[in-house]
Formats: sequence, C-alpha cells, structure tokens
Amino acid sequence: MTPPNDAHSRRSSEGSPAPQGNAAPRLRRTAWWGLRPAEWALVAAIVVAVLLTGIVDSNHSYFRLPWQSLTDILRNTALLGIFALGATVVIIAGGIDLSSGSMIALSGTIAATTMLALAPKEIMAFKPVGPAVVGVGVLAALLTGFLVGTLHTWLITAVRLPPFIATLATLVGLRSFARALCESCTLGVVGTKSAQINVSDPIFKAIRDNVWIPVAVFALLAVFTWLLLTRTVLGRHIHALGGNEQAARLAGIRTENVKWFAYCFGAMTAALAGLFYVANESVAAPVNQGRGHELNAIAAAVVGGCSLSGGVGTVPGTVLGAIFLRVVIDAVSKIIKTGADVYEGLIVGVVVVIAVTFSQLGALAKGGTRLLPGAIGLCAIPTLALLTGALAAMTAGRNGGIATGIGALFLLGLLRVWESRRSTT
Amino acid sequence: MSQRTSGCIPSDMTTSPFAVRMLGITKRFPGVVALDDVSLEVRRGEIHAICGENGAGKSTLMKILSGVYQPDAGVLEVDGRDTRFTGTRDAERAGIAIIHQELALVEDLPVAANVFLGRERRGPLGLLDDSSMTEECSSLFSQLDCAVDPGDRTGNLRVGDQQLVEIAKALSLDASIVVMDEPTSALTEVESTRLERTIQRLVAQGKTILYISHKMDEVFRLADRITVLRDGRHVKTVDTTATSPREITGWMVGRDIAGHDFHGSRPRGDKLLEVRRLSLPWPEHPRGYRLKEISFDLHAGEIVGIAGLMGAGRTELLEVLFGAGDDTWTGSIELRGRPVRFRHPREACEARVAMVTEDRKRLGLFPDLDVAGNVSLCALREALRNGLLSRTAEEQLAAGPVRDTGVKTPGLHATITGLSGGNQQKCIIGRWLLTKPEVLLLDDPTRGIDVGAKAELYTLIDGLCRQGLGVILTSSELPELLTLADRILVLAEGRLTAEFPRAEATEARIMEAATAG
Repeated sequence: MTPPNDAHSRRSSEGSPAPQGNAAPRLRRTAWWGLRPAEWALVAAIVVAVLLTGIVDSNHSYFRLPWQSLTDILRNTALLGIFALGATVVIIAGGIDLSSGSMIALSGTIAATTMLALAPKEIMAFKPVGPAVVGVGVLAALLTGFLVGTLHTWLITAVRLPPFIATLATLVGLRSFARALCESCTLGVVGTKSAQINVSDPIFKAIRDNVWIPVAVFALLAVFTWLLLTRTVLGRHIHALGGNEQAARLAGIRTENVKWFAYCFGAMTAALAGLFYVANESVAAPVNQGRGHELNAIAAAVVGGCSLSGGVGTVPGTVLGAIFLRVVIDAVSKIIKTGADVYEGLIVGVVVVIAVTFSQLGALAKGGTRLLPGAIGLCAIPTLALLTGALAAMTAGRNGGIATGIGALFLLGLLRVWESRRSTT
Repeated sequence: MSQRTSGCIPSDMTTSPFAVRMLGITKRFPGVVALDDVSLEVRRGEIHAICGENGAGKSTLMKILSGVYQPDAGVLEVDGRDTRFTGTRDAERAGIAIIHQELALVEDLPVAANVFLGRERRGPLGLLDDSSMTEECSSLFSQLDCAVDPGDRTGNLRVGDQQLVEIAKALSLDASIVVMDEPTSALTEVESTRLERTIQRLVAQGKTILYISHKMDEVFRLADRITVLRDGRHVKTVDTTATSPREITGWMVGRDIAGHDFHGSRPRGDKLLEVRRLSLPWPEHPRGYRLKEISFDLHAGEIVGIAGLMGAGRTELLEVLFGAGDDTWTGSIELRGRPVRFRHPREACEARVAMVTEDRKRLGLFPDLDVAGNVSLCALREALRNGLLSRTAEEQLAAGPVRDTGVKTPGLHATITGLSGGNQQKCIIGRWLLTKPEVLLLDDPTRGIDVGAKAELYTLIDGLCRQGLGVILTSSELPELLTLADRILVLAEGRLTAEFPRAEATEARIMEAATAG
C-alpha cells in the first residue's frame, strides 16, 4: 500500500496557513484603469469617425463649430448613457430590460403630473413652481422607477416569467399607462384632456441650457456603476448570477435580491433619463418620449462588449459604446444634413452588426469560420449589395447608388472567392 | 462472422482482419499536441476498450475516427482501405457511428424524429412519412430488446433510454463500427447492465465496438482487448485476459496507484449533526415521497458515505441538509444540538454547512470568473478594504485554498474552464473551505474526474476530515465509499435500508441493500 506519492507529501504540511502569494505565478494583470483591447478598438473607432466626419462634412462644422458639436454629442451621449448603464447591469445579471423607453415616458409623466397636481396654476401659466415642488416631482419619478423594477423582479422571480416576456409586457403597458395617466390628470386638474404637459420651471430650463449637468450626472453614475460592478460584493454577485444562476444560488447568493437590485437599477436609471428628456424638450409627452430608446441602450451595451447571455460586460465598454453610437448618428446627420433622423435606426442596426462582427474578426481571419459560406453566403451577397446600393441611391443620387451597389457586389464576390480558395487549400 | 454490408463498402472485397487501423496519427491544437504518433488496430467484431485519463487523447482519437477532426499526420484505414474523412457524414457513410458522452438529442422532438434527424423519410408528396419512421424505430428497439416508445418526447426519457435512442440511431445508419464515449457515466447500475447486454447483442450481430470508459469493472467484463493512452501517446494494447485492472490504471497514470484506505485511524469528535425521521414528500409521484424517515448522525472527524442507485434520493438528502431543495420536509435536523431548518443555501453557509454540488459545470462553476473569483466567491466580504473589494486582498484570500487543495493552475487569473475537472473540483472545495465549514457535503465529487486526480481528492478529503470536519459523501462508485468512509448508509428509493460500519461493508452487501425494497 503505497500512498499516492506527491499529493500526499504535499498535504502533510497543511494545516498551518503559510504566507500567501506564492501559490501560483500570476498571469497578466491589467491595471484598474486599463481598457481591454476591444475597448481600445472602440476608442480608435470613435476618433476615426470624428475625423472622417470633420473632413467629409461639406460644412466642416466639427472644425468651424467644435464647441457646439461637442456639446451636442455630449448631451445626447449623456442621455443615452444614463440608462445604457442600467441596461448594462441588467444584462450582466443575465436579464434583459426592454421597457426602458416606456419607463422614460412614464417617469417624465409622473414628474409632470405630480407637479401639475401640486401647482396647477403655475404649470398652466408656464410659471416657476419652486424647488420643493420640482423635488417632489423628481422623487416621485425615481420612486416610480423603483416600483417598476420591483414589478419586473416580481414577475420574473415569483410569477416566473422569462425577463423578455415580463419587460415586453411593461414595454407596451407602461407607455399606455403613462398616456392614460397624463390624460386623466390633465382632465381632473385642468378640465381638458391633454396628451402632454408643458414643464417650464427654471430648474428644468437650467438643465436644458447647461449641458454639463447631464454630463456630470452621467459621469458620476458611470463611476458609481463601475465601482459597484468591479469593487463591491454585490457587483461580483451580479456577475456570478449572470454567469451561472443555479451555481450562484447554491453558493449561498440570494439571487432574487440581486435581481431585484439589477432591475430596480435598470428602471431607476431610465427614470432619471426620463427627467432629462423632459428638461430637454420642456414637455412631458408620453406618446413619443423615449420611444424605441430601450434598443439603443441595449445596443450601446452590446457594442461595448456585453454578452446577452449574461455574466460579461464592463462600464467603460458601455460608455464607449454609447459615445460611438452617438458619434456615428451625429456623423450621418452632419453628412446628410436634412432628414437624417430617418436613418437613426438603420445606423444603430448597422453599428451593432459591425461591432459584434468586429469582435469575432480574429476567428474569421484565422480561417475557422467563413463570412459567406454556402448557399446562404451566395444569397447574402446580392442582399447586402442591394442594401448598400439603395442606401447610397437615397443619399447620393441614382448614379452613386448604382456604382456603390456594383462595387459592393464586386467586393463581396471577391471575398467569397477568396474564402472558398482558402478553405480548399 | 456475420458481417453486415455497410453503406458503400462492399464487405466481400475486404480481406483485412481489422475493422479500423489508425497508424501514426498526430493531431495538434494551438499549444498542445493532443495525439502524438498514435496507432490503434481494431479487429473486426471485437469490443475494444480505450482507457486513459482525461486529456489522454481518447476523445480526440475518436473524433478523428468519426470525421469531426482531420489528423495532421497518419493513416486511417477502414476495412482495409485508406480513408480520409472530411466530415462526420463521410464517416457515417463508411459505417462508423459515434455515441458521444454528451448526448446530442433534440429533447422536444419525439424519439423517432431524433433517430432519423437529418435523414427524415419522406412520403409521395414530399411530406414527412412519420408512420414509416415510427415503425422502423420500434423494430430497431425490439432488435435491441428494450421498450422505448418511438412517439415519446425524447426529453421525457431517462438518460439510459436516451442513450438507447442514440444506439438505435447508429443501428439505423447501418453502422458496422460503433464508438461509445463513456456511455455509462450517467447511468444507474441497472441501466448499465442493460447497456452491456445491448452491446453484447450488437457484437453478436457482427458489429465492432470501440468502448471508452474509466470504469475498470465494466472494461474487464466487456472488452476483448484494451488500449491505454497517456498524454496523447499510445502506451499499450493488451488482451483483457492477460492483464489486471490495477495494471491498466497503473499504465493510465504512469505510476502504481494502489487502493489506499484512509479511514480507520481518524479520531472521532463531537456529534455535529443529528437527523431524525427526515421525510421529503413528492406529491406528483406515485411513490409519494423522495425521502422517507431517514435518521442518522454525523460526528466531527468522520466521513459518512451515502450509497444508492440513481434516483435513490442521495442528492435530495444533501439538498435538504443544505437548504437548497424544497422546503417541504418533515422530521428534525439538529446541528450541534440546535434544531435548524435552512430555507436558502445562504442560511446553511452562515451555519457553517457547505455543499459541493454534483454537476460541476452546471451547478458549481462560474465560467466568466477567473480562478481567484471562483474560489473567493463565498467569502468575498473578507476581501473588502475600506468598503471596496481589493483585488490584491481577493488574491491573497484565494491563494490559501488554491495552495492547500493542490490546484494546478497557471495562475489565479487563469480561466476556470481551462483547468481539468479534478482541478476545477479542488477550486470548488477550496471555495467552501474559505467559509470555514464544520459540515461538508460532497455530492459525487469525483464524477468525470480521472484516476490520478481522484486519488488526490481522496487525500484532500481525508486531510480535511482529520482537521475535524464532518463529511457526508455520496458517490456513484462503491469502491470510492469503501476507500473513504467510516460508515456507509444505503438508500433505496428514498428509504434508508442499511447502515454499515466500514469493517462490515462490502460491495455485495451494499448493492444488496441498495436494490432492496
């Protein structure tokens, strides 16, 4: 009976906790401020996009009016970024929140109706309502965020709905609820139904006129979220929950509570963003405010490296993702000049596809996978060529469209030929 | 030999006595040589076992045989012909079917649809011909002499039956060579016995079987010849009659690992746990209970082993003790004399009860966290500095158990999924050691772990017990319980049917009690 040699002799010295640190050599270690390679790539992409726009834009407004351009992008990025941070936390926790656009509308409506109820005369006369009333309105909006987050958690953990279904229900439900609330409140207080409430208190005006307020709020929230995710026990539990929910529970983590936090954080950041939208537009308009914005938030998180299967994602990634998204949208509006908002959805879609494809570029280059394989690849070539051609035709005229389409067809064809030659050799 | 004509190879033309010859096979992956000049000759109609530790190259070799991978060097001959597979379809056409360790079945489809998946039969209008497929399927199952309904939803079948579905699929492909990759790792003893009968029936039909397994008793019951691989190299191929399990395991690990009894000299301490008349109802089942009136004690410095077939209630018992299951149990559990009722694993942690779960990958590991993150998870609060987590403190915290449990890892930053099964398990045990447990529940801790790592885990568990922990250990392998445990409880269908002190326990007596009732 020989004892299993080395394992046994190693064990014989156990029991006395020896000094730590020499157990294993360290692999690479990134400093706390270090960005990942994919995030540096995003930084580079942002710089390239800004420079290109400055050159291609016929007004050269980035060079002529740098300050105005900067504040425009900053304001939009801050508004998107605030609830994209919420989406990031929810996504890392393994969930999804489709309702943030509707939450933005509801939050604005709650703040406005609260102020209307407390100071009907001032609101109707576009007069200041005073900091106290504004404060109550803001608190009511944030509290609503907490309640909606709680509702989501209840639907997901107790009713056991999948997060997609639960928040799809609130996506459609909350906006409708906000409209009904707006109409019945205006009817009750003022006597006539209205689908929107004007908010012109100086506090909101100040926020609208000073871009640094939303930017500062976004920056503070980003630092807070970053600390939360990387340097707190709760943050680690959020990562663990998203990575493996069952294992997290069996490791003694109260997974329901972690989810509760994540969905409340998601809804409350949307509520906060809703207040800024009200300030920006001087009106609470539940019909259209924040419509579709949930997808932009999710897109920013995904472009920034979040995995929709949970457990993976960073705050710097999401911040850069939001900046990149807004920079590209702004670039298109600078280049096209009029009616650029039509293309916003298209841009977001293309950016998401390209960013996620880009992160898999390594595998594509190594040759394990092909971008245009088989019959699907063959049919994708004219599809993509048509899409780019039509896009170019709409923005640059018929001839430009035809040229772009044929060019795309040619390039994609080349790629296809190259890929098939590579896989046969 | 009743050779069946398979696919596209006319059997009358072959003269080779070998169904498969693999000569000088080399396969490299980035950073590792998975197979280094490995040769394997499989005679027609034999059961050829392939043994080796995890990472020895068994699965890679079989994936080359079944066309999943292409070798970097070497020759593959099937039925005496030089062959080159570019995909699994080629291998299927050549009459090779592989049954993977992780079954590849679509759970929501009926059994017959799975058997014919990708090769569906069509009727005159091009519509699916379900009745013909179902019929063919039942004839396949009757050929295998087992009762599986081809219309059942596959996900509703037990694992053993799902495996039969894979075998039926291989039969429907008219495969002459069937590769089975650790087929019994998830089976009960009864199901394993049935599988062995099925394998013998296949051989009687003239099929050639390649059988990968860790379990020496099975290998020695079934195989005609055994090939041992180690570290991607071929060690030996021998006739089963000319060797012994001990010799094979010695070749597998490259050293002699003798069965080592750990129990006996451990001092027994105070009573930690007292379980009395513990029952767990199971309303939707005809039996009505998962556990019934279980009573036992656990002392400090003692390992209590729990034996039982799959479904006997081993995991359920541990889950009740850990607060991880349904909170509907009755009876009493006293921890150090105080009655407890854990409603969440958190409460168990706080009371110094720890549980290492059965299915590492599904219930234990966090693939997105590194080694340090996986180890420190339950004791993270100790890594707080000024209210924030400190990575340095976290690494200091994790380094202790990583060293004490002997985890072999390139570093604390390494990805946990890159470690071998044994090292992953040590990380999880280490995670719980940081919570300073008094009671450690180990649910089949060595499942899917290779022989060498098992021995290390035994030493580790024994060492922990000597430090005064009370350990409850379940295992699907009886020799493991006999090696480690001071006492062995036997569960059969949710009831405690026997309790043996180590000196009185034998495999035969335990099996008798486990199949009682």
